[in-house]
Amino acid sequence: MCDKDLLVGYVYDDITDIDRGRFERHLRECAACRAEVSSIRGVRDDLAAWIPPEPHLGCQVTQARRPSLRAWWTPALGLAAAAVIVLAAALAIANVEVTYTASGFSVRTGWARGDAGANAREGGSVRDGNDQILPAAQAAPAALTAMERRLSVLEAAARSAAPSSQRVSDTEILRRVRDLLSQSESRQQQELALRIAQVIRDVDAQRLADLSRIQQGLGRIDAMTTAEAAAHRDLANYILTSSRTQQK
Amino acid sequence: MPSSDEELVARAMGGDMDSFNQLVLRWERPIHALAYRVIGREEDARDVCQETFLRAYRALPGFKGQAKFSSWLYRIALNLCRDWIRRERRAPVAQAPEGVDLIELASEATPTESIEDLVARREIARAVARAMAELPEEQRTAIILKEYHGLTFQEIADLLDCPLSTVKTRLYQGLTVLRRQLADPGIPNGTALARRGMDEQADRT
Repeated sequence: MCDKDLLVGYVYDDITDIDRGRFERHLRECAACRAEVSSIRGVRDDLAAWIPPEPHLGCQVTQARRPSLRAWWTPALGLAAAAVIVLAAALAIANVEVTYTASGFSVRTGWARGDAGANAREGGSVRDGNDQILPAAQAAPAALTAMERRLSVLEAAARSAAPSSQRVSDTEILRRVRDLLSQSESRQQQELALRIAQVIRDVDAQRLADLSRIQQGLGRIDAMTTAEAAAHRDLANYILTSSRTQQK
Repeated sequence: MPSSDEELVARAMGGDMDSFNQLVLRWERPIHALAYRVIGREEDARDVCQETFLRAYRALPGFKGQAKFSSWLYRIALNLCRDWIRRERRAPVAQAPEGVDLIELASEATPTESIEDLVARREIARAVARAMAELPEEQRTAIILKEYHGLTFQEIADLLDCPLSTVKTRLYQGLTVLRRQLADPGIPNGTALARRGMDEQADRT
């Protein structure tokens, strides 16, 4: 009786040296096991062809930051910080996305976009705590940019709401907003560069495919022409031979 | 030198989120591949992958290091896959692209691989996905963990809480079914198995 456990261990090389020796001796005598080892190796060759599609991952666990509630109600600083926080909170609640287009700018709200929708399908059960998974940048770049923008605003708000020493003037706030804007711009530029690179790669791939198709076509035409020329030559030879025979 | 999983886990347990995110970066592809092959849907596999890391992060204080971190992740992911299959009450889907886009293929081809070879590989992959989807879940899981993740029989037995011999039996039975399914010569250009069958026939004649 052949031991299938040994056979599987042997095929996957997950076997002790003693068992391997034992099974190799058995293989020399058992044609059925030899055939089985060979066919299972064939199955393994086929299994190797099954590669998952390139995933759009890049998830990260983040700790949701809550602005400190204490000591933010100091007159001038308080007003500025409160305005920023209220704005940020409103943006966060409404999931607002501001997009600039050729015709001006548009504001969209709602949760039913991109990965936000996918997450909602889970019943929200996993996203009710402080931790959250941010979806892949590639999957929803627009949503991510919006989210990053919101996060930056929230972070700035949290910083400005921090107690005592960090009193910030209007110019300081303006400077920060400008910084945020320039960061956002550079991010967008990077993304544009990425997209352009992708387009170039796609065009390249298409060019290669077209070229190979043209080459195949040319090869076929070449073969046909050669065959035809050969036929013509044969015919000419035949006519020549037959005309000589007639002359004789 | 990159830190080991154990070092990153220790730092993450001390509250260092960057260390945990390094672990995510290191393991998200294998976990996604595992989920994709077990449940057969790309989008759901991504959800399972995200959920796996979220649960791992929350359960991290309880991780005692008695198993490898990767085994622990695999266990969480497999449980989530099982939940998904139970919830959906259906067998995994063999998600195969409709038709073949040559241009898309051209960008995928390795320099040594012709378009024809690539098309043949795609066909075999589709046949494998279909055949795997029809296997019982425990056989499919055993094959996936051994074939694609290179776990030892002992690691698989620990992960699935079953005896070593059971793992080998499931693997053998699964492979036997796959062999029958993939030997079908209906697949264009043939699977490796079908080609072997033809070679043997040619040898005999």
